[in-house]
Amino acid sequence: MAVASGSEVPAQSPPAGPASTSRALGGRALKLVRGFLTLREGSIIVVAIVTTVYFSANATNFATLSNFKTLLPYFAPLAILGAGEVFVMINGEIDLSIGAVYLLSPFVFYKLNQAGIPLVPAVVLSLFVSMAVGAINGFFIAVVGISSFVTTLGMLFTLDGLTLIISHTAPVPTPGTSALHVNSFAQVFGGGTYSELIWALVIVVVLQAVLTFTRWGVYTVAVGGNRLGAAEAGIRVRLVLIRNFVLCATCAGLVGILEAVRAVTATPDPSGSNEILFQGIASAVIGGTLLRGGSGTVVGALIGALFLGVLHDGLIIKGVSANYLDLYLGLAILIAMSVNVYVQRVRTGSGLG
Amino acid sequence: MLRVEHISKSFGPTTALRDVNLHLRKGEVLGLLGDNGSGKSTLIKIICGFQKQDSGQMFLHGEPYEPKSVDDARAQGIDTVYQDLALVDELSVYHNMFLRRERVHVPVPLLNNALMRRETRKALDDIGINIPRLDVPVARLSGGQRQAIAVARTVSGEANILLLDEPLAAMGAKEGGMILEVIQRLKEEGEVSVMMILHNYAHVFATCDRVNLLQDGVIALDKQITETSVEELNEIVVEEYRRARQAAIAEDTAARAAAATASQ
Ligand SMILES: Nc1ncnc2c1ncn2[C@@H]1O[C@H](COP(=O)(O)OP(=O)(O)OP(=O)(O)O)[C@@H](O)[C@H]1O
Ligand SMILES: [Mg+2]
Repeated sequence: MAVASGSEVPAQSPPAGPASTSRALGGRALKLVRGFLTLREGSIIVVAIVTTVYFSANATNFATLSNFKTLLPYFAPLAILGAGEVFVMINGEIDLSIGAVYLLSPFVFYKLNQAGIPLVPAVVLSLFVSMAVGAINGFFIAVVGISSFVTTLGMLFTLDGLTLIISHTAPVPTPGTSALHVNSFAQVFGGGTYSELIWALVIVVVLQAVLTFTRWGVYTVAVGGNRLGAAEAGIRVRLVLIRNFVLCATCAGLVGILEAVRAVTATPDPSGSNEILFQGIASAVIGGTLLRGGSGTVVGALIGALFLGVLHDGLIIKGVSANYLDLYLGLAILIAMSVNVYVQRVRTGSGLG
Repeated sequence: MLRVEHISKSFGPTTALRDVNLHLRKGEVLGLLGDNGSGKSTLIKIICGFQKQDSGQMFLHGEPYEPKSVDDARAQGIDTVYQDLALVDELSVYHNMFLRRERVHVPVPLLNNALMRRETRKALDDIGINIPRLDVPVARLSGGQRQAIAVARTVSGEANILLLDEPLAAMGAKEGGMILEVIQRLKEEGEVSVMMILHNYAHVFATCDRVNLLQDGVIALDKQITETSVEELNEIVVEEYRRARQAAIAEDTAARAAAATASQ
C-alpha cells in the first residue's frame, strides 16, 4: 500500500506543475479577454475583426494597401458623422438632418466663394451655417419641446428643399478644386488620399476625449441617463442638448465639404444624402451607442463605420452583383448585430462577469 | 436663518401648497411631516431653486432670497437630497458624487478623476458607508447604497442649509443610524441647519429639534420636539383620517340621496 501510494505521488505531481502554470496563464489571458470585453466597443471590435479576417482569407486583393485606399472614402466620412451623432444619441435624442446638412453645406461654401470670400474663410463660414442649423434644431427640441425625431425630420426636408432651390438642381464645381491636380487646399480638405482619414481620426480622438474627460461629456451622459435628475442636480439640460445638436450638425457640414472637395463637384442629390444619414446612424448604433440614451462611445462609431466599410468593400471584391449588395449588407448588419448582442450578454452575464 | 412666507404653488388644478409659513434656525434640525401628496417635496424644491412658487417670499439671513436656479441656491449655501435621489445610473459613483461640482485640472479643464475618487472615498468613509468600488456605474448598487451616495454628496458639500427629502427611505437600520449620526454630528458642530422630511416617527424623535406638519397646503402644527409626543402626532394623523372618512361618507350619502331623487 505504502509503496503503491509512494510511487503514485511522484507520478502525479510532475504534470501538476506545468498544468497549474498553464492554468495561471490561462487565467491571465481570460482576465485580459474579460477586460477587453468590458469595453463597450469590445463586442463590435470582435465582430469587425472576424469580418476583416473572413474577407482577407476569402477575397483576393482584400488585404492590400490599394484596397485600403478605396475603402477609406467610404468609412472616414461615416466615422465623422457617427461621432457627432453619438453625442446626440447619448442625450437620448436623434438627429435625422445630418444628411441634409451634408448636402447643403458644399453649396453654401460654393455660394460664399462665388460672393468673393476666399476658400478657407468660406469653409469656416459654411461650418457656422451648419452650427446655426444645429442650434435651430436644438432650440425646437430643448426650448419649444418638439421631439427630436420630428424636428430633425422637418429640418431634413427643409434643407433638402433649400439645397435644390439654391442649386437649381444642377451640380456645381467645388471651389478650390480641379479634376487635373490636387492643390494644397484640396489636399487638406478631403482631396488628399489620407486627408479624410486624418480628419476622422483627429475628430474621433478629440470627441472621445471630450466625452470621457470633460464636464461636457459627463453632462451629456447625465442628460441622457436621467434628465430630471440632471436638472435637479443643477445641470442646464437645454444648453447641453443645444450644444450637442450644434456639434452634430457641424460634423455633418464638415463631411459635406470634405466629400465635395474629394469628388471635385457638389451634386444636389437628396437620395444620396439620405443614404449617408442612415449609414451615419448605423455606424453609431453598430458601435454600441444605445438609441435610448445614456451610453455610447465615439470610438465605437469609428469601428462601426469601419465595419460597414469592410463589409461593403469586401462584398464588392467578392464580386457580389450590385443588385444584391444592399440585401447582403442588410442581412450582414442584422447577423453582426445579433452576434454583438450575444457577445454583450455573455460579457455582462454571469459567465464573463 | 431661512424664512418662508405665504408660499403657494399649484400644478394646474392641484393645489400643492396654499399658504406656507415656516422658518429654520441656525444649527437646527427641523422635521417636516405630512401625508403623501401633502406638498413636502414641492416645498423643498421651491426652497432649493428647482421650482418657482406662485406667490410668497423667502428670506435668507434676513435678506430677500429668490433663487434663480439650483446652482444659484447652491452658491448661497443651500443644497438638497431629492426624494428621487437625482443620480445618473450610467455614471460612476464618484461622477455622481461630484455631479455639477466636478473637480477639474487647471488650466485645461479636464476632469480630475483621481481627486474625485479620493474625496468620494473620504466622504463615504466619514459617513461610515462601505461601497467597495467607486468606478462602477451606480446602476449596479443597491437602493440603500444609492441613497447613501445621494446623502453623502449633499452632506459633504459646502452647504450650510441642507434639505433632505426622505433621506432614510431605502436604508437598512444600521446605515440609517449612520446617516442620523452624521446629522447629529453636524448639528453639534452648529454650523449647518437641516430641514428633513421623514415618515418614521422614531427617526423624527431621534434627530429633530422641532417638527412642522404640512396639511391641506399649510403648516398645521409647529412644535418643539420636547413639547410633543408620538401619541400627539399619531392623534393628528388619525384625526385627519377620521375627517377624510366622514367627508367621504357624507359625499356618498349625498350622492345616494341625489340618485334617489333622480330616480323618483
Ligand atoms: N411636477 C408636478 N406636476 C404636477 N403635479 C405635481 C408635480 N409635483 C407635485 N405635484 C402634485 O403636488 C402634490 C404634492 O406633491 P409632493 O410631491 O410635494 O408631495 P409629498 O408631500 O412630497 O408626498 P410624498 O410623501 O408622497 O413624497 C401632489 O398632489 C402631486 O400630485
Ligand atoms: Mg415627497
